[in-house]
Amino acid sequence: MTRKELLLTAMLAALVALIAAASPLLAQQKPPLTVGAIFVGSVNDYGYNRSMKDGLDEMQRGIPGLKLLEAENVPETAESERVMEGMIQQGAKLIFATSFGHQQFAFNLAKTHPDVYFEHAGGWMMSHNFGNFFGATQAAWYPMGVAAGKMTKSNTLGFVVGVPIGYALGNVNAFEMGARSVNPKAVTRVVVTGGWSDKAKEAAAAGALIDQGADVVTMHVDSPATIIQTAENRGVSSIGFQSLTAAQLAPKHWITGLGFTWGPFMTGIAKSVIAGTFKPAFVREGLGQMMAIAPFGPGVPADVRALVNASADKVEKGFNPFTGPVTDNAGVVRIAAGQSWGGDKMGNFDWYVEGVIGKAK
Amino acid sequence: MLREGAPFWRALSQRGTAFAVVALVSLGAFSALLLAAGKNPFAAYGDTILYIFGNAYGFSELLVRMTPLIFTALAAALPARIGLINVGGEGQLYMGAWLATAGELALQNHAAIVLLPALTVLGFVGGGLWALLPAILRALRLVNETISTLLLNYIAPLIVSYFIFGPWRSPESSSYPESPAFVDAARLPTFLHSRVHAGLIYALVCLGLYWLTLNRTHYGLEMRAIGGNAEAARRLGIPVTRYMLAIMFVAGGIAGLAGMAEASAIQGRLVAELSPGYGYAGFLVAWLAGTDAAGILAASFLFAGLGSVGDMLQITQGLPYAAINILMAGILFVVLGRRPVRGATR
Amino acid sequence: MNSALFVGVATSSIASGTSLLYATIGEIVGERAGVVNLGLEGIMLIGAATGFAATALTGDAYLGLAAAAVAGTAVNLVFAYLVVGRNANQLATGLALMFFGLGLSALIGRPFIGTLIAGLPKLHLFGHTIMGNPILDYDVVVYLAVPTAVLVWWLLFRTRWGLNLRAVGESPVAAVAAGVHPGRIQYQALCLAGLLGGIAGAHLSLAVTLTWAEGMTAGRGFIAIALVIFAKWNPLWAIAGALLFGGAESLQLELQAAGADVSPFVMNMVPYLLTLAVLIAWGWRRQAAAPAALGRNFVGVE
Repeated sequence: MTRKELLLTAMLAALVALIAAASPLLAQQKPPLTVGAIFVGSVNDYGYNRSMKDGLDEMQRGIPGLKLLEAENVPETAESERVMEGMIQQGAKLIFATSFGHQQFAFNLAKTHPDVYFEHAGGWMMSHNFGNFFGATQAAWYPMGVAAGKMTKSNTLGFVVGVPIGYALGNVNAFEMGARSVNPKAVTRVVVTGGWSDKAKEAAAAGALIDQGADVVTMHVDSPATIIQTAENRGVSSIGFQSLTAAQLAPKHWITGLGFTWGPFMTGIAKSVIAGTFKPAFVREGLGQMMAIAPFGPGVPADVRALVNASADKVEKGFNPFTGPVTDNAGVVRIAAGQSWGGDKMGNFDWYVEGVIGKAK
Repeated sequence: MLREGAPFWRALSQRGTAFAVVALVSLGAFSALLLAAGKNPFAAYGDTILYIFGNAYGFSELLVRMTPLIFTALAAALPARIGLINVGGEGQLYMGAWLATAGELALQNHAAIVLLPALTVLGFVGGGLWALLPAILRALRLVNETISTLLLNYIAPLIVSYFIFGPWRSPESSSYPESPAFVDAARLPTFLHSRVHAGLIYALVCLGLYWLTLNRTHYGLEMRAIGGNAEAARRLGIPVTRYMLAIMFVAGGIAGLAGMAEASAIQGRLVAELSPGYGYAGFLVAWLAGTDAAGILAASFLFAGLGSVGDMLQITQGLPYAAINILMAGILFVVLGRRPVRGATR
Repeated sequence: MNSALFVGVATSSIASGTSLLYATIGEIVGERAGVVNLGLEGIMLIGAATGFAATALTGDAYLGLAAAAVAGTAVNLVFAYLVVGRNANQLATGLALMFFGLGLSALIGRPFIGTLIAGLPKLHLFGHTIMGNPILDYDVVVYLAVPTAVLVWWLLFRTRWGLNLRAVGESPVAAVAAGVHPGRIQYQALCLAGLLGGIAGAHLSLAVTLTWAEGMTAGRGFIAIALVIFAKWNPLWAIAGALLFGGAESLQLELQAAGADVSPFVMNMVPYLLTLAVLIAWGWRRQAAAPAALGRNFVGVE
């Protein structure tokens, strides 16, 4: 080697050594628990990720000294496995995989790390160190439908769906059924954008629904922000979903909304991990527990508020809108009289109820 | 720059020094940027080095990231040797995965000994055909391959999405848009409880074949001739058009193998977001490496390492993972900005 | 097909096509001067992020727009330095620029994600409504889109500067013989391209979505590159192309809202297939529409 090459190589080696030596100096005091959380999008979305972040923050406030590692914009692909593993390497003993598509990858890691606990949102997989939780959203959409059905003047409601999975179709169905229960002429038009978060498409989708006459717009996408803002700008009412913070986006035309309150559940799980009493469970909680109704907007009259609250009350006490007979929008009876679809079937929707204008497949 | 016939180690250390300089300059600029943003990049670098070299998982993940990069780099490097520009690695990757999935769905009930070779072949053919179309258009002097491969990069993921939302939608949970999970027999084996999979072997084999073909066969000589001056080569009797079609097919096939491997080994099914830009990154790897085999290996290692730095930055410093693209681009800018080359370049 | 659908598609095509048009025109200018910039996506992202950040900080969307234009120009100058000044490979540099834009925009935009901005105000210049649908009620960027296209067309085809620019793109050697300095012209062209690209990105964040999200241009930069070819490197044709491409996206959403059964993926493929078909058709008729020296770095006659 020439002298120049030797010098450069030595410099590089020194730099590497310096860096490697420096990192232990930055190690901190041992916390009672290190929790890792991955989000599919940004936490500032007034939507799903915000609700998860709020829940985690509540958990952190409830357990002093708890260390929280977070990663945003983690795609629902094998990349997520890498990120979660990185957190485990950093000492995480509890991982919240907050988006549906993270399930398989979190599950893979649960197999290779039997001493780390995982909670996944929205799926079904379970094992001794892997639990599953979500809000029982479908029934909760019924009171939203009631609100929409009463507030609409054009009898056309608009629903923007990100990805047409069974759970989302179920939300649309409960919404329409709620609307029909107070307004037999109400129809719901559905537009699918094809992804959980494509802001430009969401703006265009909301616009398209309004063009077709919808005067109440709602959504099942990760962030309700763009759709609510589009509606507000065109003077159309909106009903929010995912996070209770969305109300501030529509000061004039907000009706109400659904939000998740993950905090108590997450705190409970974290405490159980610390105490060593973690029990995997398939948790689906609805209104009153993991879900809440957002405050009403200024334009909502008292009688509508009363109706919605009464409906929400019914749901909390166990009312299931998916009780037969239920017909789909092609006229076929999907749930026979005397039968009902319980929580375990909420992912199986591949049809829309009567009154919904759209193609489920 | 490099003298022809220089001893291998001499050449390597010359190259290595150049790389070290580039790395230090870019790293320095990037660190300055991060410090200005209020972050501590040195902690992240330290964590990354420990993660990659002191940790079996960290190193294995680097290899996992490296595998598709080797494939897509070859997909760009091979046609570059005969003067063709293939930016279509992304699309070819998707179509390889698509055809392999079609095969998996059709042949599900067979044993791995049948399934894996079949999927490999299908992955290769899928990507190869997707590259053949631009090749034919170029051979017929209809459309420049740069733009046709670029356009096809957009159509391929849409085709994949159409199928996984429609005919190939997974019935389990009838929910998430993805193909049904590959049966175990269709999954490429992994090594030592890590995610490093047989695709890496494929990639290294392809790399070896690439080096062999170019340096030890008469095909390599003819390709060099075409790359130097296609018209002169044609006059010498070299079947330029045949090479164009064959090379593009093979290049696309190699990218297709990347797609098949990602679907089979890593994802375990066909998904919409199969590639976070491996095709484009591979093109840059090939460009950085000067299209020679050892360079491709080193450059894809480097890019994969950058990805690990990005992971660390995200987890420990709260930086968006995307920020690492700045460093990657920075390295490229420094390399691109070095002494201008004499004569017109493409 | 009801008329609400038609009106809806028309209005939303204009809204989403505007961004495409600016980006395309900018790329046309660059390519006419012989430089292809695959990193347009990166420029647009930087424009979107900078515009949003500046608007969030100052509360003035026009200031944000200006900031985006400046940022786009500055970053494209880096590209220009590498490609023109250092004779770097255009394709590789362009792709590197794309990655750079992805990363830098993420860094710039991060602190502002979720910030609520008022966005570019709609100028009620015409203020008619058709069936309750506000028609021709847009922000200034949309209103200036077609005039900008015409202006750039005029610059390219009716001025000496434009003539010189096109000469550089066709044959740099001949341009030098005519007393033109190719490098200087290319720098100027890329300045303009960067400015337009920055505005294109800013329109997305300041008018269409009123948000910033990583990677929000979603490939529009590459669509613009395809549009340049579709428009035969002519800014006037680019208007039609932008409407078509913007329309394809809007059409499938509006069709869904109207209840029609249409696959969003097939619809999204149409613009690319159309471009490819058009290219093949031209190739068949052996029309060389591209600037002859596109992609080649001119090094000097000495």
